[in-house]
Parts: sequence; structure tokens; C-alpha cells
Amino acid sequence: MKPSQIPKPNRRTGMPDHAPRWPDRLLAWLIAPHLREEVLGDLHERFHRRAERLGEAQARRRYWRDLLAYVRISMIKRQPADYPTPFFLTPGMLRNYLKIALRNLVKSTVFSAINVIGLALGMICCLFIFLWVQDEERVDNFHANGKNLYTAYQTFSTPGKVDGKYGTPMRVVNQRAVFLLEDVKSAVPEVQNTVFYATGYELPWGHPETFQTGEKKFKLEGSRASPDFFKIFSYPLLAGQAETALNDIGGIAISRKMAELFFGSPRNALGKSLRYENKLDFRVTAVFENLPVQSSLKFDFLLTWEAQKSKLEWASNDFRTYVQLAEMADPKTVETKINRFLQPRLAKNTGVTTQIGLQPFGEHYLHGNFVNGKPDGGRIEYVRIFSGVALFILLIACINFMNLATARSVKRAKEVGVRKVLGSTRGHLIGQFFGEALLLAFLAMLVTLLLVVLLMPLFNAFTGKQIASPLIQPSFWVSLLGLTVFTGLIAGSYPALFLSSLQPVRILKGVLRFTQSAIWFRQGLTVFQFGLAIILLVATIVVSRQTRYVQKTHLGYDRENLLYVRIEGELMTQRNYLLFKEQVSRMPGIALVDRSSEAPHVMGFVVDANDGAANTSNDAINWEGKEKNVSVGFKPTSVGFDFVKLMNLKVAEGRDFSQANATDSTDAFLVNEEAVKQMGLKKPIGKWISAWQKKGHIIGILKDYHTHSLHEPIKPLVMDVKEYEYFGVILVRTEAGKTKEALASLGKVYKELNPNYPFAYQFIDQEYEKLYRSEEVMAKLSNVFAVLAILISCLGLLGLVMFSTEQRTKEIGIRKVLGASVSQIIMLFSRDFLRLVWIAILIASPIAWYAMNQWLQSFAYKIDIAWWIFAASGFGALAVTLLTVSFQSIKTALMNPVKSLRSE
Amino acid sequence: MRRSDLGEFEEVVLLAVAVLVPKAYSVMIAEELERETGQNVSTGAVHAALQRLEQKGYVTSVLGEATAERGGRRKRLFTVSALGGRVLTEVRSVRNRLWDRIVPPTLLEWS
Repeated sequence: MKPSQIPKPNRRTGMPDHAPRWPDRLLAWLIAPHLREEVLGDLHERFHRRAERLGEAQARRRYWRDLLAYVRISMIKRQPADYPTPFFLTPGMLRNYLKIALRNLVKSTVFSAINVIGLALGMICCLFIFLWVQDEERVDNFHANGKNLYTAYQTFSTPGKVDGKYGTPMRVVNQRAVFLLEDVKSAVPEVQNTVFYATGYELPWGHPETFQTGEKKFKLEGSRASPDFFKIFSYPLLAGQAETALNDIGGIAISRKMAELFFGSPRNALGKSLRYENKLDFRVTAVFENLPVQSSLKFDFLLTWEAQKSKLEWASNDFRTYVQLAEMADPKTVETKINRFLQPRLAKNTGVTTQIGLQPFGEHYLHGNFVNGKPDGGRIEYVRIFSGVALFILLIACINFMNLATARSVKRAKEVGVRKVLGSTRGHLIGQFFGEALLLAFLAMLVTLLLVVLLMPLFNAFTGKQIASPLIQPSFWVSLLGLTVFTGLIAGSYPALFLSSLQPVRILKGVLRFTQSAIWFRQGLTVFQFGLAIILLVATIVVSRQTRYVQKTHLGYDRENLLYVRIEGELMTQRNYLLFKEQVSRMPGIALVDRSSEAPHVMGFVVDANDGAANTSNDAINWEGKEKNVSVGFKPTSVGFDFVKLMNLKVAEGRDFSQANATDSTDAFLVNEEAVKQMGLKKPIGKWISAWQKKGHIIGILKDYHTHSLHEPIKPLVMDVKEYEYFGVILVRTEAGKTKEALASLGKVYKELNPNYPFAYQFIDQEYEKLYRSEEVMAKLSNVFAVLAILISCLGLLGLVMFSTEQRTKEIGIRKVLGASVSQIIMLFSRDFLRLVWIAILIASPIAWYAMNQWLQSFAYKIDIAWWIFAASGFGALAVTLLTVSFQSIKTALMNPVKSLRSE
Repeated sequence: MRRSDLGEFEEVVLLAVAVLVPKAYSVMIAEELERETGQNVSTGAVHAALQRLEQKGYVTSVLGEATAERGGRRKRLFTVSALGGRVLTEVRSVRNRLWDRIVPPTLLEWS
């Protein structure tokens, strides 16, 4: 009797029945079902009889006591059912499930191996990407004040255009830089600290700076920061105080590495003096621990902000500004308050409105790009792409499992039938098959774990990270377990639902036909799998071709055998520079020597670009016939007479600078074709042009050449000869094959003429390749991913083919007896699979085209996505499919029909 | 046969079943015992005893008819099995033999 059928006081008979109701309900729940009827009956009968004899009140009291007498084990204990349905997780059943699962694993070793290997590959992908993503997210998120730290950025709005960049506004008052947010702390109470920070090594003018003590000379990259820097950021100090580290204008905070380099130990360093660029002396006020890899700010020393403002050169106008807000302060309100504070201080009538925004400090590493003046996107896009791809690869492996398990369900169908007949419910079977998938995923996990540990160093080398062994992190184990369960559930889902839905009557009769929808579903999975593989294949081809393109494309100048040395120290005087040039030119291995104001492969200095920061009413560069309100972003550069020859640039029109022409150093300008186009000049040669105070005439037009990475379009270029200014770099063209001699010569002369600086040089071609580091990583990763995707898909395909040949052994035998040729039989097998791959190609190609087109948008110069890329990847997929299918089908086709038909 | 196989209460219940057959069920037995002993006897206790007796094979049971005062529920009717009868006789003969051997003046008459 079910509880819902608890006997209620009988109204049918009309008998008064006032036995209390809720004790009944209590008893009905307590008493074992097989006893309920008699017990309740007895109680009620007794109640009635007593009620007649002693009255209802008395009966009621006794009723309670009677009731209590039933609270005993013999009444409560449930009777075992005659045909019990055991709970499917009893140890007995579990043992059975495990045994069957293991038997199946062992019996079909190949299929199990395919599944385990496939799942393991997918899981390894996922785990490594997880580790990578985790590491990316840790960047800058280790500061104790982390959640109250914000990076300021500026949004510039001009009519029709909104731009953004990091930093805060500054004005020059009495030739001194004034940072408009300097005293924001006093005006906005929520702002607890403001820190300005600028690197000394970033483009366009930055470079490693030279320090010296005694005979020790080193070039190091460092920054400048305002006094509160160590208060808001958690960079541990080994010596000195956070409060005083950056207060003294003559002070410098150095890293442990730098301290050991110069003084042997951090303790020794404190209070010692360091000579900077052979002109200033700084006293060590603090030594900080080497920066953790997770810090996006990189510096080996920090000079004070005061020193930067009064004594040092600016490396770039990118002054980062960090603020620490009070606990619980709302950044939006603070933004408004800061802007209210700032607006009256900005320069008037520039046509540009400047707004300050705050971005959480921990986010600016991953979200460092600006769209419409707000931080949006950046490295996070790579994080998303890679996570997505890793998940897809895992999905491909799961699909293998689904496909194989369903295809092979013929083998398991009888088991399902028998289990169902013996009383298994659908739920039990679903549980069983999920369990088997989980078991397999667990095996895959063991393989994964082993490989992750083994491949860790390789992975670190590959991505340039320093991720420690993850085995000691609890988060790694949690995610590993989560991943395993997730994989098991995804992989097991369809087989479990499908197998458990089989009808025992039909299975045991021996007919198992897949329904059309099941077949379609399985084919759909294969199409999906190959579609993903093809997308990845296309991506690989496009990325690697683009990477090769940017590295191999002719830049308009000859970047082989070209190196540069920074002009610094003694070389900055005209006399010494000319001496150096003259001496070096005579040395062996040197072809040409000249100077340029910037390293020619990454010219970062742009003037008059109307990005909102520049003052449009007072352009630095003017030319004949310039219309008002026209603003052209120029790259101005000053060079020596031999620059064009040295760089091997082509002159399209007019002539090159020439020492023979007396006026060339004062009156001559070269521009590039892009400049002519943007300036709107018809006959440029001979027109006047001015840069700052210098006015002259255009004597020639250079063919466009790349002055930056191919992410940027070629900008207008203005070039002149300045014999009196010696900053920038010395360019040296060496003779082919004589690099060693050239370096020896250079080093020798350099040491004589510039003894206080270590000799350092860079090769242009190597530096150029460094510009594409992230593309390189992307190319490498997409290679790996594509190979993995194809490999896993083919594993699955192999499994399917093996299975279908196994099933159709007899059919093949009969076909052969009736005269079919080997090739016909191979065709028979291949046709089905090839059709699926065709469909996959058709579906994947447009998606791949769209995705890759998006990626290429970040390049100003890019390859065309030619049709043959799709043809090649499609052909590749087809060939691999055919190879996989034939591998198995040829074996079957060659089998002697006598054998296949004999076996029964 | 061990003495512990038949507890005192069980013995009384078994006897009551024998007396009340064919209308022996918990309520009747409990009331009968209440009448005979003058003490409160709950059906629960009787029921439990009957279960034990049935387990030991001294009584058998069938479900009887339903009555209105039971709320339309059936009752379980008990009869003494052959084994139960034999156990009862044995217990009685043990007691009789012991009674017979008591020398008359040993036991003082109550009132």
C-alpha cells in the first residue's frame, strides 16, 4: 500500500469515526507497509470499542498509549520484497559494472586505446591552455592592494573620432612638465595615492641605460616613479624603506640582480653611489627583490619622478598613472570627481575633450587595447581563442568516443537487452554507461597527468612562460578532476542515452537497426569533427603564411648585414662622431657608416597625427600649399648624407642628399610617396617644406618603405640631414659574410672613443623579427592544434572504419566471390566517409574564411586568403581520410573470401 | 525444547488464541487478556507477541474480513498450529508435574 492510500476515516459506512487523524498518518509512515492495514485496523477497532464502553475522551487517551506500543523494531522493519529492485549502486552491482567495463576495455584493446589516447590528447590541450590562461590572469594580480589599484587612461574626443590611451594629461609651464593629476589626492578624498610611472627604455627614445661604478659598466632597463610607488605596489624591499625609497631626487632603487651585479649583495648596495650615463650620480636608497614574472611592469631600477622632471630625458610621452582608491570607493564616482577636478586645468580651445577613466590595475595587461576611447580587448582575445580551440579539441575527442561507442553498440546491445529483461531500468543503464565513460576519462586522466609532467619544460619553452610544476596547486587538481568528469559526461552522454533506449524485445530477437536519426546524428558528429579540423588547418596555413610574409617581405630597404649602435656618451659630440665614423669606415668588414635619429625598423616618433594629443593649430611640419585644418601624421627623421645609400632605398623622383651640394645640410628635404599623396602636392620637387624651425625644399621623393612593423600602414616620412645633431643611432652596413671582423673593428674603435659605455649593438633583421613574437607563438600553437585535431579525428575515423569492416566481413566475401575488385571494395568503404568530409569542407570553409579575415585585420599589410588555401586544406583532409580508410579497408579487401565466409 | 522459546506473555497470548479461535485477532486477544488479568494490555504488545509466535511456527494466520469500525480494514485471524498445540501441552504437563509434586501444606492458601 502506498502512503497515498493511507486509510482515511471511513465516511462510506456513516459510522462515527473520531480516531485522531494525524497519529494515523504518523503510524502509516512508521509502520512497515505490509503491516499497516492490520495495525491501523486494530487501533481503530479498539478505539471504537473503548469509546462505546468508556467514552471518547478515555478512548482517546488510551489510543495514544496503544500507539506507542507499536513503536518497536518488529513493526518498523520493512519486509524484503519478493522481487527486489536493488539500488543500482550496491557494491555487488558496482563490481559487476566494473567487471563488464574492464572486460570490454580489454576485449577491444584497439578501440579502448583510440578512445583513451584521443581523450588524453584533448585533455592535455585543455590543461595546458588552462595553465597558460591561469598564468596570464595572474599577471599584475599579486599586489596586496590589488583590488583598490586603478590605471588611469585618457579618452580624447574630437568631432567624429574618439581615441584612447593610457596616461594622464600634462602641460608645459615655464619649461617644466606639470602633471595635471599631481594633486588630485587633495581634491578627491577617495584617491589615497597617485603614482606616476614612465619607463626609460620604451620607444621612441628609450633605451637601456648605462650605469657605472669603478670599472663595472652595465646597460640596464629601468623606469622612473613617484614617491608612493612602493607603498601601493607590493614589490618587497630587501634594503631601505618603502616611504623613503623614491623621495630623494638623487636616489635610486635597484633590483637584487642589479645590486649583485655592481655591489655583490643587496646589503652592500645601500647608500652606495652609481654613475648614470657618465653624467649624473645616484645614491642607492633601496634594493627591491627581482620582479616576479607576473609583473607587467618591468624595471631593474627606479629613478625618482623629481629626477625625471628636472634632470632626465623623456623616453616617451607615455606616462602611466596609477591611483589607489579607498576601500569600497566606487570607481565610477571617483572618475566623475577626477574629471570635475581636471577640466578647468586643461588647455582651452584645442577642439579636443579629454576625459580620465579608471581601469582596474589587474585588467590592463589582458585588456590593453582601446576601442572608442575605452579599454577593450587585447591579449584577452588570444586567451579566448586558445581556450575555445582547446575546448573544441576536447570536443573532437569526445565525439570520437560517442561515435565509436554508438557504432559498437551492436556488440553491447545484447547485454543491454539481457540487463533490461533482468530488471534493469533505463536509469541504471544510463548510469552504467556514464560510469564506463567516466572510467575511460579517468584512464585518460592518468595518461594526461603523466604527459603534462613530462611536457611541462617543453611547454614553458614554447610559450616563453615560467610556470612551475602545477602538481602542488590544489586548483590544478580541482580543475583536473573537473575536466575528467566533464569529459566523461560529455563523451558518455549520447552513448548512454542511445544504448539505454534500445528495446529488449528487438535486440534479443537479433535485429538491431539504427534509426535514420541516429545515423544522421553520428554522421553529423563526424562532419562537425572534420569541420573543426579543417578550420584549424586553414588557420594554420593562413597564420604561418602571414608570419612568413611579414618576415620575408621586402621592406623597401635591405635589412641584411645591417646593425646599429646607440649614440651616447662621448659620441654625442660632432667631433667624436665624425672621428668614429671615419675610423670605423676604414676598418675591415665595414661597408658604410651613417646615422639616423631612430632605429629605422621601428620609428615610433610621429608628429601632427591628429590623435587628440597634438595641438592642431600649431603644426610642426608645414609645406607649400598646405590647406588649413589639414593634419598629416608625419614621421620626421634626421639622417646623414649616406643614409639612403646605406639603407639601399630607392629614389623615385629627384635626387638623393649629396655632400657635394653645399645647401643640402641646411635646405634639403626628402619625403616619401605616401607623404606626397597625403600632403596633396602635384609637383613636389622644389616646393618648400618646413620642420619646426628649419625651412627648406623638397629635393627628392623616396619610394615608400616600411618604417614600422607591418601591423601599421606606411606613414608620411620627412627626412633631412642634420650634421650638427648627434643623437639616435649609428647604422653600420657590414660586408656580407664578414660580420665577425666588422664587430671586432667596431668594438675596438668604440672602446677607444667611448670608454665609459659598454659596447652594445643590435642587428636590424633580428630586431625586426622580434616585432612578430606573438604571431610566432600563434603560428606555433595553431600548428600544434591543427595537427592534434587532425590526429584525433583520424583516430576516430580509423575506429569507425575498423568497426564497419569488421561488421561487413561477410558482405565483402560475397562481393569478392561475385567478382568485385579490390579497388571497388575500397571505394565502397571510402565513399561514405569521403562524402562526410566533403560536407565538412563545404561548411567549414566560409567559417574559416571569416575567422581568418578577422585575424588579418590587425595587419595593415597582409596576404590574400586565396582559394587554394581552402583547396589545400580540403585536399589534405580528404587525403588523410582516404589514407586512414584505406589502411583498414585494403586489409579487408585483400582478405581471402574463403576465410571470411567460412567463419560462422 | 528450550524454555526460552516460549516467554510468559507469549504463552498467555498463545493460550488466548486457542481460546478465541476462530475469532482470534489482536483486539479480541488484548481485551480477553485485560479481562482475565485485569491489567491494561495494548494491541501492540499482543501483535508483537503474535508475530514472534508466528515466526516460531506456533500460530498461523490469514487475513479476515473488513469491518466498518476498523475503517474498512481487514483483520488478521490467528489459529494455533499443531506445533503450537504440542508446545502448549508440553508446557502444561511440565507445570502439572511440578504442581503434583508439591506437598499440600507447603503452599499457604490465600485468604
